[in-house]
Amino acid sequence: MLINNEFNEQKIQSPLQYIWSIFKSKNITVIAMWAVFFLIIVSIFADSILPYSHTLQHPEMRLLPPYWVDGASVNHILGTDDLGRDTLSRLLKGMQLTLLGALLITFSISILGLIIGATASLMKGVKASIMHHFLDALLTIPTLLTAIILIILFGVSYENSLLAVSLSLLPQFIRGIYICIENELNKQHVIALRLDGATNLRLLRYGIFPNIIEPLTTLLNRVFTMAILEITTLGFLGFGANSEQVELGYLISKSLELVYLSPYLALFPGIAIFLIIIVFNIFSEGIRHSVIEGEE
Amino acid sequence: MVNFLLRRVYLLCITALILTVIAFSLEHWTVHTQIEGNILTHYLDYLVSIGQGDFGLSITNNEPIFRTGLVAFASTLELCLFAFLIASVIGIPLGVFAGLERNNGLDYTIMSIALIGLALPVFWVAIIFTVLPNAIGWMMPIDGNISPLFEVPVVTGFLFIDSLLVTEQYQFDAFINHMAHIILPSSVLAIFLISEIIRLTRHAITMVMKSNYIKAALTKGLTRRQIVFRHVLKNALPPIIYQLRLQISTIISFSMAIEIVFSYQGAGMWLFASIQQEDYLVLPSAILIISGFILIKSILIDLLLVIISPIKRKSLYADQ
Amino acid sequence: MALLDIRNLSIDIITAQGKIRVIDKATLNIVDGSIHGLVGESGSGKSLIAKAILGLHNENWIVTADRMFLGCTDLNKLSFRERRKIMGKEISIIFQNPRSYLDPSKRIFDQMREVLPNKIAKKRFIKRMASKSAHYLAIKELLHKVGIQNDKVVVNSFPHELSEGICQKVMIAMAIANNPRLLIADEPTTSMEAVTQAQIFRLLYKLNQLHNTTILLLSNNFGSISNLSDYISLIYCGQTVESGSYKQILKSPMHPYTQAMIKTILAFDEEVDHKSQLYTLPGSIPPANQLPIGCRLGPRCPKAQRTCVMNPEAVNYKGHIIRCHFPTLGEK
Repeated sequence: MLINNEFNEQKIQSPLQYIWSIFKSKNITVIAMWAVFFLIIVSIFADSILPYSHTLQHPEMRLLPPYWVDGASVNHILGTDDLGRDTLSRLLKGMQLTLLGALLITFSISILGLIIGATASLMKGVKASIMHHFLDALLTIPTLLTAIILIILFGVSYENSLLAVSLSLLPQFIRGIYICIENELNKQHVIALRLDGATNLRLLRYGIFPNIIEPLTTLLNRVFTMAILEITTLGFLGFGANSEQVELGYLISKSLELVYLSPYLALFPGIAIFLIIIVFNIFSEGIRHSVIEGEE
Repeated sequence: MVNFLLRRVYLLCITALILTVIAFSLEHWTVHTQIEGNILTHYLDYLVSIGQGDFGLSITNNEPIFRTGLVAFASTLELCLFAFLIASVIGIPLGVFAGLERNNGLDYTIMSIALIGLALPVFWVAIIFTVLPNAIGWMMPIDGNISPLFEVPVVTGFLFIDSLLVTEQYQFDAFINHMAHIILPSSVLAIFLISEIIRLTRHAITMVMKSNYIKAALTKGLTRRQIVFRHVLKNALPPIIYQLRLQISTIISFSMAIEIVFSYQGAGMWLFASIQQEDYLVLPSAILIISGFILIKSILIDLLLVIISPIKRKSLYADQ
Repeated sequence: MALLDIRNLSIDIITAQGKIRVIDKATLNIVDGSIHGLVGESGSGKSLIAKAILGLHNENWIVTADRMFLGCTDLNKLSFRERRKIMGKEISIIFQNPRSYLDPSKRIFDQMREVLPNKIAKKRFIKRMASKSAHYLAIKELLHKVGIQNDKVVVNSFPHELSEGICQKVMIAMAIANNPRLLIADEPTTSMEAVTQAQIFRLLYKLNQLHNTTILLLSNNFGSISNLSDYISLIYCGQTVESGSYKQILKSPMHPYTQAMIKTILAFDEEVDHKSQLYTLPGSIPPANQLPIGCRLGPRCPKAQRTCVMNPEAVNYKGHIIRCHFPTLGEK
C-alpha cells in the first residue's frame, strides 16, 4: 500500500495563528490595536474617570486655555469653555457618545447587512430584481441627505441620529456584501459545494464567509469611518445631540462662535475624531493585510 | 453598443421611477399638500407635475423650488468639479509614484498623507481653513461664493461661466472674485479627494504591476518608463474611474457639509436654510435633483469605461 | 561550448515564517544549439530558476550564484538596467497561460511592434506612419514563421479574442523577433489541447533546428519532452538531482529519483498486468516550509541510508552529473 503520511512531524499553523503571527510582526499595527482597546475601554468607563461632570459649570474659571499655556489652571488640564465647563470631561463624554454610537451602528449594520445581503445574493427571480432596483435607487441618494431626511421624519435627538445614520449607511453595506458574495458564488469551490448538495446556510458558512473576510474588513472599516463622520456631521449641523449629550460634532459647532477667543475648544474635538478614525483605520488595515498574506 | 445603451437607459428609468416613489411618499408624509382622493391618483398627478418641472413653490419666498434647487446644485457641482480638478492633478501622480515604488520611504510618506486626509473630518478642516488664512495674514474670502458687489445674473447656474458673461460690466473682476471665493472650500474638499484618489490609484497600479503582462514586458527589454506609459497607465485607469463612480454620492455629501461652514450658496446651504425655516418641500426635490444627476453621471461613466477599456467591451458582448 | 553556465544557484525567499531555501545549489549547463529539458514536479522550482536567470525576481528573494555566465557575460555583475537590455536581445522567455502575459488593453499589433528590432524613427510622427507598414511586414513575417496564417485578423485583435494556442504562438513570435541566443520555455503547453501541444513542440523543435536557437524547456511531464531534448536535467524540491545527455539519462539513470521517473513513463506496448499497481515513489512532495535536511529526496528514497542527512556533492561522470551518495554505477 502507499504510505502517504510520510511526514508525521508536519505541523502546520492554523490559519488564525498564521494571521496573528503576520499581524504582530508589524509594530504599528500592534500599537494601533492597543490604542483601539484603550479608546474603547476609556469610552466605556468614561463616566467613572471623568474629572468633573460634563455639565458642571465653574463660573469663576471661564475660557481657560490648556495647562501648558500661560494663565491656565492645573485643575482643568485642557482648559474650560465659555460657561466654565471642563473641556477634558466634555471631550471624554463626547468621545463616549461618538465612538460607542459608531461601534453600535457598525455592529447592527454588519448583522443586518450580512443577513439581507446574503439573502439577496441567494435569491433569484422577481424578488431579487425588485430588491436590486430598490437598492440602486437608494444608493444614488447621498448618505448625508438620507440621514437628514430621516432625522426630520423621526425628530431631532441623539438616538434618532444614530438610527438615521445606520439606515443611511445600510444600502451601501448591503451592496458591498452582495458584490463580495456574488463574486464568491461564481467560483469553482462553491459550485462543487453546491453539487455536494449543501444547503444555502452551509454554503454561506463554509464556502463563502471564510473567503470574504478581507473585503469584509474593508467594508466594516468604511462603515465605521462613515458612521463617525456622519454622527459628528449631524451633531455639527444641529440635527443630532442636544446640550445634554455633548457629542463631538456638537462640541465643534458650539465652539464655532468662540473660535477666535479660544481656538483650543474647536481644536481638541477635531483631533479626537481624527485620532479615533486613524487608529481604527490602521488597525483594520493591519488585519486586512495579514489576512491577505495569510491566504497567499 | 446600442443594445447596451438601451439596457442602461431602461435600468435608469426603473431606478428613476423608484426615486419618484420615494420622493412622493416623503412629500406625502411631511407636507400633505392634498387631502382628498386616493394615493395612486396623487402619485400620478405628482409624476405629471414633475414631468413639467413643477416641484411646487417655496413657502418662504414663493419661488419655484425646482429652479432654486437647480441653481444651488449647479454651484455645488462647480465646487466638486473644481476640487476634483485640483485633486486629480495632485493625487494621480502621487498615487502612481506610491504604486510604483511600493514599500519604500516615498510610498510610506504618500500613504500616510492619504491616511491622514481620509481620517480628517471635513467640516472640522473647513473650520480650520476659515480661521487659519486670517491668522497668518492672508486675506481670503470665507463666506459666500461671490462678493455681493457684483450682480451676476443667473444664466447657467455655473458662476464661472456666468461671471464670464458679464465681462463688459466688470471685466474679469467678477471671475477672479469668484475664483478667490471657491479656492478655500474646494481645497478642503480636495484634501479628502486627494487621499481617496491616491489610495485608489496606488491600489490599481500595484494590481497592474503584479500582473503577468508587466513581467512579459520586462522580458521584452522595455525600460521602466516605457512600461509605465505603454502598459500600466492604460490598464490602471478603468478600475480607478469605476471606484470613483461609487464615491460620487460621498463627495456630494461632504461638499454639502463644507458649504454650510463656508456659507457657500450651494445645495447644502439651500437645504440647510430651508429646513431651518421648516420648508420641507425642498427635501423631495433635492432627492430628485441630486439622485437624478448621479444616475445620469453613472451612465456616462459606464459609457466612458466601455469606450476606453476593451475588456469591458468584451464583457458587454458576453452579456447579450 | 556552454551557452549558459550556472553553478550553485541558490534562492531564498523571506516569508513570515522565516527564510526558506527554495532552490538549493542548482547547477545548470546548457550547451549552445541544443534543447535542454528541465524536468521536475510542479512546485519543485523550475519556474524560479527561469525567473532567476532573467533577473525577474521579487524583492523578497535572495538570489546567490557562484557563477552565472551567458556566453562570456557575467549576469551576476550586471546592473538591472544592463540586464534588461540583454533580456530583450539574448534571452527570451515564453510562459504558461500565455494569455495573461499579453496586455489585455492593447492590440496584438502594438504589442508585437514593441519587440521589433531597430525601432526606427520613434520621434517623428510622419516617419512613424511610414514605418507602420514596414512594421506590419515584419510582424507578418514573424507570424507566418510560427504558423499563423490569418495574420490580418490576429494582428487586429485583443488577446481575449484569441485562443490560448494562438496566444502562445504570438508569444513565441515575440520571443524570436530578436533572434535570441537562448529561449526559455516555461511549461509552454499546460492547459492546451493535445493537438496544439504537438504544434507548439514541433514549432520549438523547428526553431532549434533551423535557427540554431538554444532552448531551455521546462516541463513537469518527463514523457512529453524527453524525446525532444538533447540534454535533460531533473530537479526535485529545488535540488538538481541528475543531469546529462538524453542517452545517459534514459539508458543509464544513476539517481534513484530518475529511475523512478523513468519507470513512471507508461509504455503501453509493454505488458501491464490487469489491475496491477502502477509504480510511484512512496509519499508526496514535502511543503516548502518543512523540507527535510540533507538530500531532500531522503524520506522517500528507496536507497536512503544514514549519510543521506548530509547534502551530497555533485559528482561528474563524463558529463553525467548526479547528486547522490549511492548512485547506481556501471550497469551497462
